[in-house]
Amino acid sequence: MKSHDLLIVGAGLSGMRAALEGAKAGIDVAVVSKVHPLRSHSCAAQGGINAAIDARDKWEVHAYDTVKGSDFIGDEDAIDLMCQEAPGIIHEMDRMGTPFSRTERGDIAQRPFGGASFDRTCYAADRTGQVLLHTLWEQLVKAGVHVYEECHVFRLVTSADGHVAGLIVYDIKTGQLFPLRSKGVLLATGGYGRVFLSSTNATTSTGDGMACAYRAGAPLGDMEFVQFHPTGLRTSGILVTEGCRGEGGYLINASGERFMGRYAPQKWELASRDVVSRAEQTEIIEGRGTNGAIFLDLRHLGRERILERLPQVRQLAIDLEGVDPIFEPIPVRPTVHYSMGGIRTDKFGASPLPGLFASGEAACTSVHGANRLGGNSLLDTIVFGKVTGGHASQYVRKEGLRDFPPQAMQEEQARIADLKGRAGQGVRPFDLRNRMAEDMNTYCGVYREPVGMAKMAETLPGLRQDYDKIHLDDKSEPFNTDLLRAVELRNLMDLAECIVKGALAREESRGAHYRIDQPERDDVNWRKHTLAHWDASSETARLSYEPVRTVGNPEYTPKTRTY
Amino acid sequence: MALQKYTFRIQRSIPVQGGGVQTKWQDFPVESEPNVTVLTLLEEIKGQQDGTLVFRQSCRSAICGSCAMWISGRTRLACKTHVGAVAKNGVVEIAPQKNQPVLKDLAIDIRPFFKRVHGITPYLLDGPEQNSTVTKSAYDQVNHVTQCILCGACYSDCTMAEVSPAFVGPAALAKAFRFVSDPREGRKSQRLADLCQPSAIWSCTRCTMCVDVCPKEVAPMEAIVKLRTRAMARGYTGSAGAKHALAFHEDIRRGGHLNEFTLMMRTLGIWETLKETGTALHLAKKGKVPSPFPHTVAGVEELRRMYDHLEQFPIEVETKAKEAVPE
Repeated sequence: MKSHDLLIVGAGLSGMRAALEGAKAGIDVAVVSKVHPLRSHSCAAQGGINAAIDARDKWEVHAYDTVKGSDFIGDEDAIDLMCQEAPGIIHEMDRMGTPFSRTERGDIAQRPFGGASFDRTCYAADRTGQVLLHTLWEQLVKAGVHVYEECHVFRLVTSADGHVAGLIVYDIKTGQLFPLRSKGVLLATGGYGRVFLSSTNATTSTGDGMACAYRAGAPLGDMEFVQFHPTGLRTSGILVTEGCRGEGGYLINASGERFMGRYAPQKWELASRDVVSRAEQTEIIEGRGTNGAIFLDLRHLGRERILERLPQVRQLAIDLEGVDPIFEPIPVRPTVHYSMGGIRTDKFGASPLPGLFASGEAACTSVHGANRLGGNSLLDTIVFGKVTGGHASQYVRKEGLRDFPPQAMQEEQARIADLKGRAGQGVRPFDLRNRMAEDMNTYCGVYREPVGMAKMAETLPGLRQDYDKIHLDDKSEPFNTDLLRAVELRNLMDLAECIVKGALAREESRGAHYRIDQPERDDVNWRKHTLAHWDASSETARLSYEPVRTVGNPEYTPKTRTY
Repeated sequence: MALQKYTFRIQRSIPVQGGGVQTKWQDFPVESEPNVTVLTLLEEIKGQQDGTLVFRQSCRSAICGSCAMWISGRTRLACKTHVGAVAKNGVVEIAPQKNQPVLKDLAIDIRPFFKRVHGITPYLLDGPEQNSTVTKSAYDQVNHVTQCILCGACYSDCTMAEVSPAFVGPAALAKAFRFVSDPREGRKSQRLADLCQPSAIWSCTRCTMCVDVCPKEVAPMEAIVKLRTRAMARGYTGSAGAKHALAFHEDIRRGGHLNEFTLMMRTLGIWETLKETGTALHLAKKGKVPSPFPHTVAGVEELRRMYDHLEQFPIEVETKAKEAVPE
């Protein structure tokens, strides 16, 4: 059986940055990714990455903006760490060769972003994620880190004494299942946007790492906090960066009114994302939208600025919505974008399950709390890739390989055989996923109410029963994406349950979680993190709670959040 | 817009024992509005008609590079290609990328392509040529090549890769240009010297196919031409390609005419030219041997002045990609 000191799952920004840290520490580190590293969804991040690199800015201000943005439920120790590390991370990425956009003087340029009190978002036009991803991939090649490319993790394996023992991996190219032993596993597998029908996320964003960790006994934190990005394209949900508003774009309704002033009189379009998404949804519900959308208007920025700063967004609007933003406003609507929740960790990325670490969107560290600020996710991925990668590398130095229970392989093989072996015309995975995702959009959206959420919670067990009837067309081994979709769907279903149960239980409105029946934030009863635990016997989620990690900074005391 | 009927004619490939694939074409009927993307419809076919259909995809927004495939005559990203723009008489032909081994259906083996990218040392190197400061213009210069998402479309449609599998290919060379042009790169000269080796920058025939098919307006050929200019400016003129270019340059400057009689000797050297004696005799028999004493064209003085001017005020070569229109 092959073994490594540390296995990193996911080769996006966080996974690759963590792998570099492992290589630097001199441990045997390998990366497992279901897609080639450059296909990872980090590439789709457009607008930028926050850091207080300007002499007039301070990391403390960045940290305060983040605490406030999180609606006072972010863990303050992790937020302080991230914002302190941010400038160093930017300069390090610059030295590695990231082609950041520059000012006339040659400094790294920064643009305004939502919820920030300083223009601190560094960028590369509107493809910041792509250039960061390519740069880290270059460094990964340089460091010679082994990547198990196009290999899907089916299971996180633990030893009898409750430590991480390794992974069971499915090689997509060959259809072969194989075990990998390791002293530690770091999950950097991104988010679960595909739980919802309309999402900015890639089709590969299926929360695999979260689901594997959860079923292996690591709790998931704050799953009810799902960020709706204010500007997803109406038809496809594809992201249109917040950078558009940072560059001065307006949001207008069907009658052409720039409506944000009624909701956020100081920051207008640059209020935080939860605020803007709710404002848009209100406009749409109250009949001031068109075909379920409002509009992002860039026309006044002019052709030159659009082509220089937002060329990709312009092309996407042309290709996918048939609208050239130089001449017409873009129809957009709030669209599922980011999971604030994830594998619960401390500020070093360690989960309560010994040997398991998580970073980036897959983790709930929690630097984003109930609402993430634009430009903080790229930062989170790289800072905590580095921090957690370093921490995990130290951890595995002190640990040995654990027993790898042999039945784990047999069980996974049986699972594949079962999925492939079903005869006849059962439920198609495509249809089942659409049914679940559509309901999730309807009942766990921007505005939530208890009857809808309860309905969703009651629907899920039925969908789970239907999953037991799904039928695969493809029984072959190489590149069986039919099988993969089915495995991913199971992950999505388990995560959907955590989202719904967490949302139904949280009787307040905070950040991205807004309940019509409980419109106020309740700091006395609910300034705490939700933990969802897998109950193996019933195969359902059980909830518990834990306090927010505070640092005693009086600035961080919860107050009314206005923009 | 109204629904229209389309036929997706897809090249299916199944791996066979002992390597290689067995291939057939299969038709799938779909109904769609013309402005729906090919990827969306492939997803529908897989989801509703045939779960065995295999293709790569991920971001749906032309940035991850997974879904490059051959669609109606050229390689495109399925996620940004509208079905109505590529259907001919209602038929959309779809096949895997060319010039690369097929694993199954539309999924190719991406390893040979990435091996070429690895071959150009795809990361910044420390060294004596590193600049401590960067300027805005330095970034504008590499902007078009850093847009590359390594989807492989240019390699799939590259006419040189088709006949010469050793060719490094447009994407990898565009990436090489990105490092040669970066102020933070420390070994620019060494890179240029390496790129003058066979099957690299001098093997491109400048057919512009890569410029046309690139979904991200990278214009790889433009990068290749710039690499040649820079290599020659640094004195790397020993390769056949460079010598060929210089021979053209000298002839035109001297008399406004190409001396084809001596061109081969000046490109390949005496020894290699002697090997082509048979071809020369064949040409002589057909009366196709050019005169060794070409005449000087009228107005050559003006031509020389143009050369002088360009040497004093060089211009960057710019090959404009086609105007971006919705596909």
